[in-house]
Amino acid sequence: MSEHGKACVPGLFTDDNGARLLGTRCSTCNTPYFPKVTRCHNPRCSESRLVDASFGGRGTIWSYSVADFAPPPPHKHDKPFKPYVIAVVDLDEGLRIVGQMVDGLDQASVGAPVTLVIDTLYHEDGQAYSTWKFKRI
Amino acid sequence: MQDVAVVGVGLHRFGKTGDDVVGNKSVTELCRIAVERALKDAGVSWRDIQAVSAASSRFSGGKGWGLNGNDVVEEMGSTGIPVYNLSAGCAAGGNAFNVGYSLVAGGVYDMVLVVGGEVMPKGMIQTSGVEEATDPEFLRQRCVGMPGPSFWATLARRRMHDYGTTEEQMARVTVKARKCSVGNPYARFQKEVSLEDVLKSPYVSNPLRLFEICPVSNGAAAAVICSAKRARQLTRQPVLVASSAVATIGFDDALPRSLAVPVPNGPSRHTEVYAAVTRAFEAAGVGPRDLSFVELQDNTCYYELAFPEEWGLCQPGEAERLHAAGETLPTGRMPVNPSGGFVSFGEATTAMGVFQICELTWQLRGESGARQVPGAKLGLAQTNGLGGNATAAILKR
Repeated sequence: MSEHGKACVPGLFTDDNGARLLGTRCSTCNTPYFPKVTRCHNPRCSESRLVDASFGGRGTIWSYSVADFAPPPPHKHDKPFKPYVIAVVDLDEGLRIVGQMVDGLDQASVGAPVTLVIDTLYHEDGQAYSTWKFKRI
Repeated sequence: MQDVAVVGVGLHRFGKTGDDVVGNKSVTELCRIAVERALKDAGVSWRDIQAVSAASSRFSGGKGWGLNGNDVVEEMGSTGIPVYNLSAGCAAGGNAFNVGYSLVAGGVYDMVLVVGGEVMPKGMIQTSGVEEATDPEFLRQRCVGMPGPSFWATLARRRMHDYGTTEEQMARVTVKARKCSVGNPYARFQKEVSLEDVLKSPYVSNPLRLFEICPVSNGAAAAVICSAKRARQLTRQPVLVASSAVATIGFDDALPRSLAVPVPNGPSRHTEVYAAVTRAFEAAGVGPRDLSFVELQDNTCYYELAFPEEWGLCQPGEAERLHAAGETLPTGRMPVNPSGGFVSFGEATTAMGVFQICELTWQLRGESGARQVPGAKLGLAQTNGLGGNATAAILKR
């Protein structure tokens, strides 16, 4: 458990040595996957050979939007609902990934540099639950 | 393969639970009314229907198993005919049309009913139906919280970056869509809105506003399809199916629809939609510039701009200019959604593919009144849905 609480879904990420998403990579075709897969999904790959891989660090914003209203379940959020920025980020390590931003809309722009972080997503029964997010560099 | 015709279509007007239009009608009642209208329009009786191809709802009826076609058959009279219940997210109606078409084209049946209907829960669509850590859609909603409107909003924002599209230009697409809906007796919204109305409506997901995103609606649609040979016994000028195609997403699709994909080398497009539309063009032996009009899935005004470009109806980045020049109106050179589209109807998710077949049929018969595309000869209908499903159908007169 990190300072930001228990993982909202266990096994997807770690905050032990910096924020990392836990995925896999096919060593035949070099395709990165998050979350983990048990077979390479690339139809042109000659042989599925998956190894554990983690992803994090820097990336740039491909695009972004705002959740101005609370999404329906199974999303969970603190009340009252506070709008958040959603970014689609191209990580330097080769993954295009979606996530919330810890920063506000004024920090979001296409092409802006960000880094992957672990941050609190919601609270339930006095317990904080965390997820991955992006922070503007 | 034999030629297939659409000989009867019917809609129940779209509305919102509790209003004067749909009230508290069940999905089966909405479907029954649409089916009765389609049968009457075709001049056939329920006993003439040899099979049903139905869209499966996740939200209403179907005994909770998506058995909405079985509900329709029970309601109309249990003749013992085969029922195919098709699930494809918001593309289910288009999928049901494709399966019905394929069964008639292949000579399995001579006359098939295609039907879809919905009674939708309030608010944004809950895309994941399960709470399982192995379901990518569950993870996307639990860990991030990115409902449909936010997906569309990231695409709209990217377009603003790529082409300099302004919020006002997007708002003008809604103004045009609602202008088309005036006089359409089946649309949920039948009044024009002003540019100011749209720009004053609140953001649902910045940069997209309430009036720029289709709400959920209750409604139903039905179509009677049969062999062209049988159709000529029923009518002198049947509407023919030039092609019907289905496709799913490609591995190289890099739009943000799941948690993560490999970073692509170039620009991205909706690969499943492109594949379905391209297959439909090829099977019909026509090209994008041959179309008289299209009915496309405008969950948001963004798609009226993006899809015609992705399919080659116009050049990338050209759509705003065509809209501004009135070319996407029914009287323009590239009419888009003369019905008013999803933005005017709201989305009764699994009915939409069949709703489009109804509009295409009326347009090709010249029965569309104020929204008529003059001299319409060839129309394209397109849907896409969760899971990377897409459909396209081309109808001709």
